Amino acid sequence: MTDQQTTALSTMLLCLADDEYIIGHRMSEWTGQGPIIEEDIAFSSMAQDELGHALGFYTLLHELGADDPDTLVFTRDASAYRNSIFTEQPRGDYAWSMMRQFLYDGAETERLGALATSAFEPLRDLAVRMLQEERYHWMHNATFVRRLALGTEESRLRMQSALTEAFPFALGLFEPYDGEELLVAAGIAPAEDHLRRRWLDRMCPLLEEYGLKVPAHRDGDNWRVDAAPVLGGRQGRHTEHLLGILDAMHVLRSADPDAVNW
Amino acid sequence: MKRWNFTPYHQQIDEGLAILGTPLPEHDTQWPEWEVFVQAKRGGPHVNVGAVHAPDPEMALLLAKENFIRREPCVNLWIVNTEDIHATASEDDALFQYTFDRTYRNTTGFKLDKPTAE
Amino acid sequence: MTDDELLARFEARIDRGEKIEPGDWMPERYRSGLIRMISQHAHSEIIGALPEGAWIPYAPTLKRKMTLIAKVQDEVGHGQMLYRAAETLGITREEMIDQLLTGKATYSNVFNYPAETWADVALIGWLIDGAAIVNQTKLLLGSYGPYARAMERICFEEGFHLKQGYDAICVLMAGTPSQRAMVQDALNRWWWPIMMFQGPRDKDSVHSAELLRWKVKIKTNDELRQEFLTKFVPKILAFGLVIPDPELRFHEETKEWTFTEPDWDEFKRVIRGGGPMNKERLGVRRLAHESGRWVREALDAFVREGRAA
Repeated sequence: MTDQQTTALSTMLLCLADDEYIIGHRMSEWTGQGPIIEEDIAFSSMAQDELGHALGFYTLLHELGADDPDTLVFTRDASAYRNSIFTEQPRGDYAWSMMRQFLYDGAETERLGALATSAFEPLRDLAVRMLQEERYHWMHNATFVRRLALGTEESRLRMQSALTEAFPFALGLFEPYDGEELLVAAGIAPAEDHLRRRWLDRMCPLLEEYGLKVPAHRDGDNWRVDAAPVLGGRQGRHTEHLLGILDAMHVLRSADPDAVNW
Repeated sequence: MKRWNFTPYHQQIDEGLAILGTPLPEHDTQWPEWEVFVQAKRGGPHVNVGAVHAPDPEMALLLAKENFIRREPCVNLWIVNTEDIHATASEDDALFQYTFDRTYRNTTGFKLDKPTAE
Repeated sequence: MTDDELLARFEARIDRGEKIEPGDWMPERYRSGLIRMISQHAHSEIIGALPEGAWIPYAPTLKRKMTLIAKVQDEVGHGQMLYRAAETLGITREEMIDQLLTGKATYSNVFNYPAETWADVALIGWLIDGAAIVNQTKLLLGSYGPYARAMERICFEEGFHLKQGYDAICVLMAGTPSQRAMVQDALNRWWWPIMMFQGPRDKDSVHSAELLRWKVKIKTNDELRQEFLTKFVPKILAFGLVIPDPELRFHEETKEWTFTEPDWDEFKRVIRGGGPMNKERLGVRRLAHESGRWVREALDAFVREGRAA
C-alpha cells in the first residue's frame, strides 16, 4: 500500500469505528430501561456488538500506526471524531432508536458486504466476521420496525415521524471522506455513492411495504431523495450532542488525570 | 475526595419522579409466554431452558436467542407456546414407577456364565 | 386425601430432598412465601440494574463499558428468569410489575443507596454480588424446582459479575492515591448496607422457621452473614482497606464473627420507602415502563389483528 492509501484507509477506518462506537454508546443508554424485559436484553446485546465492532476497527487502525483503542476513544475531542452526525443524536423515544438502528444496520450490512471483498485482507476478514452478527441485527430490526409501523395508530405515527426525521441524518452515513477515491481505485473500499444507492434500494421498498412514507421517490431504476442530507461528521463537524457524550466519557479521567489504568 | 453527587443524564430521574405518584393504567400487557428449547450441538436433543414473553413466534425466537444463549453453545432453537404444553399430573409420578421386577428388560437382568466347551 | 395427608406427603417429599414442581399440591403459605420471595428477588434484579446502569455512559475504558453493559444485561436477564419462576406459582408478570411500581412490593434495600463514584460500581460488583452469591448458592438447593433451576443459570453468571468487580477493584487499588481513596470511601459508605444485605437478625425475622423447614430458605440470615464475612473480610483486608467497624473480629473458639450491629431502624425505614434513593429508583423504573407501553401495545395489536406471518 502507498502512504496515501494508508492515510486514506486510516481515515475511513476512523469514520467506521467512530460510527460504531457512538451508536453503541447511544444504544447502551437503554440498558435496564427498555420497553419490556426481553427486548431490553436483546437491544443490550446489539449495543455490545456495535462496541465490539468499534474495537475491531480501532484495533486495525492501531495496527496501521494510530494510538491504541482506549486512547483513541477517550482522549480525542469532538472535532477529531469522524462519526456521522446521525449516530450522535439522542436516543429519543423507542421509535427513534429502533428506526435509527434499522437504517444504520441496513447501511452497515451493505458496507460490510462490500468490504468483505476488499483488497486489504485484514479488513476483509474483519468485515466477514462482523457480517455474521449483523444478520441478527437485521432480523431483529426488520421484525420490530414492521410490527411497530403496522401496530397501532400511535405506533404508526411515532414510526413515521421517526423515519421523516431520521432519514436526512441517515444519508450522512454516506458522506464522502478524504481519500475515498484512492481506496475505491485500489479495490480496498466501495464508493460511498454506490453504497448509498444500494442502501436506498434495500430500505425504501421495505419501508413502503410497512406503510411508511419515505422521503424519496422512484425515478426509473433509482430512488431520488427528497431531503437534504445532514453532513459534516466525516469532516469533524458535530452537534452539541456529541459533546454531551464525550463529557460523560471524560468525567472519570479528567477527575484523576494521573490515573493510568481503570 | 471528590463527590460527584452523581446524576446520570440518561436515567431522566426528574421525569421519572414527576410521574411516580400518578395512577397506573388498569391494563398492561407483558405478552404471552413461550417455552424455549435449545439444541446445543447437532445430533443432540432440544432442551428446555426457560421461557420468554413475546407477542408471536417470530419475535419469541428472536428474543429467546439473546435471553438464553448469550454464552452457551447452540445450533438450533425451538419455541412452543406455553399453553400448548400438555403434561401428566405432576403429583402422579407413581405412574412411572414399576412395582414388579422388570429387570428382564435390561442388561442387568441377564447374568451370563462364561461359555463352556462341550 | 385430607389436607393433613397432603401436607405429610408434601413434607416427606421435601425431606427426601426431592423438588416440588408447579402442579404439585402445596400449602398456601409455601406458595405465598415463595411468590413473595421470588418476586422480591426479581424486583431486586430489575431495580439493581439502575445504580450500575447509571454508570454505563461514564465507564472509563472500552472494555469496562462493554463489561458493564453485559453485567447489567445479565441482571435484567435474572429478573426475567425469576419473574418466570414466580409465574409458575399462579401470579402474572403484569401483576408483579404493578406491585413493584405502586410500591406494594419490596426489593433489596441495598439498591436504595446511591452509586456515587466509579469505585461504587466496582465495589457493588465485588461485594454485593459476592453477598448475593453466598445467598444464591444456597437457594440452588431450595425445594421449589423452577426457582432452583433459575438459580443454576443465575449462579453461573454471577461468577463473571464477581470476577469483573474484583478485577476493577484490583486495578483501582494498584492505581493513584485518589483511586485508592475512592475505593476506601466506597467501602465506608457501602459497608453498612452490605451488612444488612442478608436481611434482619434471625431473632427479628418473621417468616424464617417454616420457610427453613420447607427448604424455601436453606440458611438463616445470620448464618449467611457469617459466611459472607468469612469469605470476604480477609480479601478486603488484603488490599489494605479499612473496614469501618472497629468491633469486627473473628473468634477462633466459636468460629464466629462479632460485629457492630448495623442500624436496623434504618433498615426498616428504607424498606418502607424512606431510603435515600427509593423514589428515584422507582421513578426511573416507572418512566421506563410508561415509555415502553406503546411498544408493548403495538406488538400486541399487530398479532391480534392477524398480521403476524
